[in-house]
Amino acid sequence: MTTLAASPNLVLPGPPSALRNTMTLARRELRDAVRSRWFFLYTLAFTVLGLAVSFVSAAGTGGSGLSGFGRTTAGLVNLVLLVVPLMALSAGAASIASDRERGMLSYLFAQPINRSELLLGKFLGLAAALLASISLGLGACALILAWKGLRTNPQSMFWLCGLAFLLALGMLSVGMLISTLARRASVAVGTAIFVWLMLVFVSDLALMAGAVALRLRIETLFAVSLVNPLQVFKMWSLHAVDANLDVLGPAGLYAVEEYGSLLHAIFAGCMVVWVLVPLTLASVVLSRRSPL
Amino acid sequence: MITIDHVSMKFGRSVAVDDVSLDIQAGDSVALWGPNGAGKTTLIRCVLGLLRFRGSITLAGHDVRRQGKHARLLVGYVPQELGFHDELGVNEAIGFFARLKGLDRVDPHTTLDHVGLAGHGGKRVRELSGGMKQRLALAIALLGDPPVLVLDEVTASLDAVGRGEFVALLERLSGAGRTMLFASHRLDEVATLARRVVEIDRGRVRRTTSAAEFVARTEHGAVLHLHIAAPARQAAMRSLAEGGFAPSLNGVGLLVPVSPSQKAAPFRVLAEARIAIDDFEVVTANHAADLAARAHARRETTP
Amino acid sequence: MNTSSPVLPLTVLLACSAAPALQPDHEAPAPGPRAAEDVPRQLGEIGRLLEAAPPGATVLVQPGVYREHLRITRPVTLVANGAVVIDGGGSGDIIEIAAPGVTLRGFTIRNTGIDLDKENAAIRVLAPRAVIRDNIVDDVLFGIDLREAPDSLVANNRIGGKDLDIARRGDGLRLWRSDRTTVEDNVIHDGRDAILWYSKGVIVRRNTGHDCRYGLHLMFSDDVTISDNEFTRNSVGIYLMYSTGVEINGNRLIQNRGPSGYGLGLKETDRFVVRGNLMVGNRSGIYIDGSPFSPDVPGEFTANTIAGNDIGVTFLPSARGNLLHANNFIDNFNQVAVAGRGNLDANQFWKGDSGNFWSDYTGYDQNRDGVGDFVHESATLFEDLMDREPSLRLFLFSPAQQAVEFVGRAVPAVRPEPKFTDEVPLMRPVPVAALPTGGSPARIPLAAGGALLVTLGGSLLGLARDPAVRPAHGGVR
Repeated sequence: MTTLAASPNLVLPGPPSALRNTMTLARRELRDAVRSRWFFLYTLAFTVLGLAVSFVSAAGTGGSGLSGFGRTTAGLVNLVLLVVPLMALSAGAASIASDRERGMLSYLFAQPINRSELLLGKFLGLAAALLASISLGLGACALILAWKGLRTNPQSMFWLCGLAFLLALGMLSVGMLISTLARRASVAVGTAIFVWLMLVFVSDLALMAGAVALRLRIETLFAVSLVNPLQVFKMWSLHAVDANLDVLGPAGLYAVEEYGSLLHAIFAGCMVVWVLVPLTLASVVLSRRSPL
Repeated sequence: MITIDHVSMKFGRSVAVDDVSLDIQAGDSVALWGPNGAGKTTLIRCVLGLLRFRGSITLAGHDVRRQGKHARLLVGYVPQELGFHDELGVNEAIGFFARLKGLDRVDPHTTLDHVGLAGHGGKRVRELSGGMKQRLALAIALLGDPPVLVLDEVTASLDAVGRGEFVALLERLSGAGRTMLFASHRLDEVATLARRVVEIDRGRVRRTTSAAEFVARTEHGAVLHLHIAAPARQAAMRSLAEGGFAPSLNGVGLLVPVSPSQKAAPFRVLAEARIAIDDFEVVTANHAADLAARAHARRETTP
Repeated sequence: MNTSSPVLPLTVLLACSAAPALQPDHEAPAPGPRAAEDVPRQLGEIGRLLEAAPPGATVLVQPGVYREHLRITRPVTLVANGAVVIDGGGSGDIIEIAAPGVTLRGFTIRNTGIDLDKENAAIRVLAPRAVIRDNIVDDVLFGIDLREAPDSLVANNRIGGKDLDIARRGDGLRLWRSDRTTVEDNVIHDGRDAILWYSKGVIVRRNTGHDCRYGLHLMFSDDVTISDNEFTRNSVGIYLMYSTGVEINGNRLIQNRGPSGYGLGLKETDRFVVRGNLMVGNRSGIYIDGSPFSPDVPGEFTANTIAGNDIGVTFLPSARGNLLHANNFIDNFNQVAVAGRGNLDANQFWKGDSGNFWSDYTGYDQNRDGVGDFVHESATLFEDLMDREPSLRLFLFSPAQQAVEFVGRAVPAVRPEPKFTDEVPLMRPVPVAALPTGGSPARIPLAAGGALLVTLGGSLLGLARDPAVRPAHGGVR
């Protein structure tokens, strides 16, 4: 055993920069995520379901290649709405809570890093994993659609992919907030699934009931629907692919007439709020709470 | 090197650390001694900046809260148990923590060789035994050759053999010049590794002594280490106290100081109370004296 | 009609004028070969030629830009001998044909006035048997306006409207009491309507109309044949009102999405056959309002492909006596809707043993006779709710919508009454007629896009591989 001893006057280099630490943590998180079972299963499920949607819409046209905007994009939008938030919420929810549960969080915090570096690193790593999953799934769908000769616009696939990723970022951010608040990973994931159910089903159904029972004005209906990031994603992708929202009936027509080209900015604003606010809150919680 | 100045820390309404001040010079080796719940681990977490506390702690002049990154860069930390991601590889773990410590060129083979893990680099962390995991943690702690080593009951989850090996390894690697702060409730660890012992109880520093004095004072003849399943420990404490003993709790069971002629007496008391004993060790006076002698020897060889 | 001999004895050749331009051409260049702009012409040059031409003459006009307004009062054949631009200078009509049997061929006519009350037109025909062909009519309020000009031919013209608000535009093509006229191979864009008023026996074929209000509008026009046209991105593709005996064959009605947005609309129209058309991506593929008006002859819809519309076919409650068979209903968000509420019992969705192909049919065909073993009933709870409360469309394509549909299927108590029943649904689509010819599907870009996305995902996964262990040189030792 040679000279492992440290001299008291040893001059150490300064700690690594925030950027470097964040990237190190992000790569670590990406590697862990990609090797995990959830990533594999979600990616598989997303791709298989996407391919099923593509095949069904190809078959439904009787080989004519006719689908207009059609069920293909609608089906994929629907699929993204169902799978991506669940994937992002549960990935985010598991991230910090499971480290905390294993004692890994305090061990990491005992290293020369800041807590916000850990949060941001994990966020970026998981975001990259989600982007990989989404682009693999949708890319495979695009290849199938091209092979089947469906008249689907390639731009619409890029839009869909980009917006799905943005939705994933928002949901990941919410998941990570849940994760910093929960003591146990199982509680965090449970809460995430509850939030998912709320966003996917309950809020829409409640709003539908409200629209029918209270005869909500379409302005109100549109404004309220902007609160739900899933609705924002849906409206934005329809708007981006089709350049209008009339397929969504009176409320969609109202939105386009009232806001026109501002709609992109409005949708983007809603999404950015959903990404930044929970992440900032998570950062505050993480810096104040004991990592145990 | 480590300055702990009037540090207090509460969990809700219970006081875990109560106005502790401690100055640890570079090259010193300090054991925190005390029963479970005394506040040893909490104090160590404060030193690492993991908890919010009142007072101040500085490492080589860096405030652990305001300059946490700088402070922690000086520290190698070994926890009681590692909880790595299941799929993480040993070499990967080393590379990852090396980067966090700002090191670019780290040879995992050499690093692992130092802690006797040569040839295990390709394994997953979960494939390692408990003792090997702790050695990996030590290897990671020593990355970048930090001037301070902080250990938190590092042998608590190891069996007798693993414990012995690990303490021997620590003794070899801690070397001269490195500042050490560790929590323990094992006499042999304290005797082997510490130069000073800080006795803590209910969050307060009760006494600070040299390791040699501490070991000498502790030698009542013998100390029985009784391994008792957790649910029965409180009952065992009561029974032994009623039987005229002065037991204390540690991580796996009870420590009972006994006179050399009455080493079996606690067994009788517990048998009557129908409390099962899983295992036991006897640290005899001779053994303790041996440890004390080693501690004296260490003091004489170091400047 | 002989328009192909350039050197008839009576041909008046217009010499290239050497006179200097009276005024330089300031306005922005309009469509037409650039060469034409280089040759400004004296005011009234063509008018003088026309005055000189006897009836039956062929007047050949030399290339150049002519700023004048013409009135043709003799049956002549007026032919552009190259790139001839007649510019209205932004006022009034440009050419008025007041004599029967006039032919106007090969001109570029542009820049009418914008007076809607006076209906400023590029070409106004006031006499029978006109032939208007191969002209480019651009930047005009009204394009070609036939008033009481029966037996005319309007062929292979390209008509583009002014860049005005839709309410201030005129009609690209208008026929007023011009029976037995043929309108073929024209392109009409950015106008208000192409419209037939009180014109019997008209043939409208192989025309293209896009970005107008009504691609083709029939008012009180009987026995009209409309075939092989393409109407894209108009407010409404074809709209028939109060007309009897209309054949609509092989038309392509695509992406007509105005406020009403019908591919084909029929209002109080009788004795019509709609066969082999393609309606794609319209707000409503077909819209049926009070047709057929007299119930003795059913309205027949067959071999049409109705795909990717918001609503495949919209029936007003007044629509009865329609027969829809052997059509393809493919992926319309709402295959068949009843505006307001009610059912479609007075219409029939099959004929003999042939129903329609429904892409949402869930049954199967065990005996392999090409007909589903169960009837196709359209009854989804969400559609029913949307019919009641249109603002619920906002929730289309959401998982919540599917949840509602699921409840509708699973709980009989809330299952709505079926709107219609197809007793013999087809298992396979009938051959799709009138497929767009040009523009192959965006296969290659789509495939490239897909490959790009897969590569992106793959390379992100590549980032996640174990980093190669870098050997230390000296390292910690």
